[in-house]
Amino acid sequence: MLGKLAAGGAEGLLLIQDSVSCEGRTLLKSFAAASAQRGECVQVLSFDIPEEEFKAGFSAAAASQLLYHDAFRDPLGWTGQGCGLALEEFGTSELVARLTATTAGPSTVVLDSISWLLLRLPFPRVCQVLAQLPKRAKVAGLKISRIVALLHGDLHQTGQLEALHTLARVVVKVEPAPEPVPGGDGAARVAVTLHRKTGGKVMQKKEYFTVLPDFILKCLGELPEGGVSREENDQEVPVTVDPAANLTFNLRLSEAERQAKESVPLPYQFSEEKKSSLLQTPANLGKIYYEPDAADDVDEEDPDDDLDV
Amino acid sequence: MAALATGGPVRSEGVPTSFQRKGAAGGGGRLAVLPGTRPSLRRGQLLLSSGIPSLDSVLGGGLAIGTLLLIEEDAYGIYSNLLFKHFLAEGIVCGHNLFIASAKEEPADILKELPSPFLNTVSAMEEATAMKCKQDSQESMKIAWRYQNIPKLEVTQMTSSKCGHYFDLSKPLASELRQNIGWHGFFLPEETTLCHDISSCNMASGYTRLLHSIQKVIYQEGFGGSTPQKKQRNILRIGIQNLGSVLWDDDICCNENPQNIYSLTRFLYALRGLLRTSLSACIITIPSHLIQNKAIMERVTNLSDTIVGLESFMGSERETNPLYKDYHGLIHIRQIPWLNSLICNVSDTKDLAFRLKGKLFIIERLHLPPDLSDTVSRTSKQDLAESTKLLSSGCSAMAIGKKHLDF
Repeated sequence: MLGKLAAGGAEGLLLIQDSVSCEGRTLLKSFAAASAQRGECVQVLSFDIPEEEFKAGFSAAAASQLLYHDAFRDPLGWTGQGCGLALEEFGTSELVARLTATTAGPSTVVLDSISWLLLRLPFPRVCQVLAQLPKRAKVAGLKISRIVALLHGDLHQTGQLEALHTLARVVVKVEPAPEPVPGGDGAARVAVTLHRKTGGKVMQKKEYFTVLPDFILKCLGELPEGGVSREENDQEVPVTVDPAANLTFNLRLSEAERQAKESVPLPYQFSEEKKSSLLQTPANLGKIYYEPDAADDVDEEDPDDDLDV
Repeated sequence: MAALATGGPVRSEGVPTSFQRKGAAGGGGRLAVLPGTRPSLRRGQLLLSSGIPSLDSVLGGGLAIGTLLLIEEDAYGIYSNLLFKHFLAEGIVCGHNLFIASAKEEPADILKELPSPFLNTVSAMEEATAMKCKQDSQESMKIAWRYQNIPKLEVTQMTSSKCGHYFDLSKPLASELRQNIGWHGFFLPEETTLCHDISSCNMASGYTRLLHSIQKVIYQEGFGGSTPQKKQRNILRIGIQNLGSVLWDDDICCNENPQNIYSLTRFLYALRGLLRTSLSACIITIPSHLIQNKAIMERVTNLSDTIVGLESFMGSERETNPLYKDYHGLIHIRQIPWLNSLICNVSDTKDLAFRLKGKLFIIERLHLPPDLSDTVSRTSKQDLAESTKLLSSGCSAMAIGKKHLDF
């Protein structure tokens, strides 16, 4: 599923949430590399790390597709040169103007990272920019097919994270692998992916992945979901043994025997007339009204426990 | 049998008596001329359908005009959005005017995605279910025949009146139907770009602008209750999507001590005042699970009339629970208004669940499926029984109607 998403399986906002124990930047870069490989323009808004560090490791072909907007060197505009992206510029119309100036083709916007912005700008404002950017860019003539944003999960309150998750189409939480994975080279991590599809379906998967050189994503299969429930199923399997299989006497009826058995009237089976007369509630006869008595000994839990032989 | 005995007095409310309220029951009262509405028999109010007949019957027949229905969204907001769309689609079918407000989707897009009504109307649907019931009862019981005449427990909450419509979620509404109605949209990002002057001074100015916009529509188009109107009057259905989320420029969803703690409640207070004095009904979906400060949610509860909470099983461990395997989620009726009376309409069960049956969204009472396997012993059922402690005792009566369970 993760591979499908990286290959362009989802549009809209993709969040990659990492933590101190497991970094997600390489996954972000692999999404960027996959977009570049498809021939899309990749616009990088980088706040966390300098340009050289971000571009390191990309193949030459992919690096040529990257359009870099540097917000790391001078985020507050102190030098006055105005070449990079400043914090005040993070508004919808400013960003649209900036992005459309460089390219017109379908593009992927990479935000590295959104946490930096959330800590410095009002939370609702950042969310609104994220939600409106594709629509406004479309009006201006630029198609932004997806926004991939890195989010450092342990920097924010859970409430804020949840509010962000509701905005996103895809949320990938990166976690360290609990045990070494066969086939991985030891650097395997776990991705918990939540994909909200357009039809109103939600997919949730947990899978191992690793990132190869040149930021090629490699999925290593899914995690077994809930190991405990599987064990319970194993226990239930031998229960379905047929108890009537190896008997020394006959338990089965032939068709003729069955008919003979069914033709015998049982004491509680009445004729149709008697049945209907019994079923009809007499119109003017007495009815029983039951009022619960204080001294009644009624067991609410099991009203007919005396039947349990 | 105990279940049937206790069920009796509650059910008897629906039995027609010779005593009827003067005027309202006749149907010829002056209120009943509005399309898509029907007078309430017991409360002397005009009701309209929420678009889901089973929800209407749970809420006591429908929504009264001038009231506010608040939907607490489920975790992914999928089913609350369905309720929202049903409400609006019902308005289109009845020829009501619409006012659609959203911060996320464009109102025109919401309008395009509304579900289409089933062509074979309500009566046909009900006939079909009635036929099915008849077939079931004709198949006579052999051994437990004394149970034959015991009425079947109604699983689906059926309406007694033909007010609402059923909608097919797979088909979008025909465009001819859409073009004939009058509607107004409010898309927050558009509104903010139009007038920059207010937005800078007040943080949650989106609410103020929405309120002004609704007010303008109500007074200019003649939905106000006080303004005398010569021409045919109509109902305004107001739908507000995802109110209070971050996209509304509100920080109650991300902060426990938000800067503008009163802006949402102030908006709701003013909105309710507007609704009460006009021919309108309003549906609001609100992401209550995201609101950090519980006091806000309590205030919101006090400011709305009907509150319905949705809890979908999607992604939760309940999805795999055998008890819930037939359903898509639980529905909690948190509040029903008591209007013109001392008590509100109390439904006889509080355990309600919803599911998408085919393309139909229905609300049913939650019950245990009958256990038909021979091998299950009583001890192994213990865990299931524990999780159903809350269920009402209707389950035993339910099993009678099932074919294979002949004692």
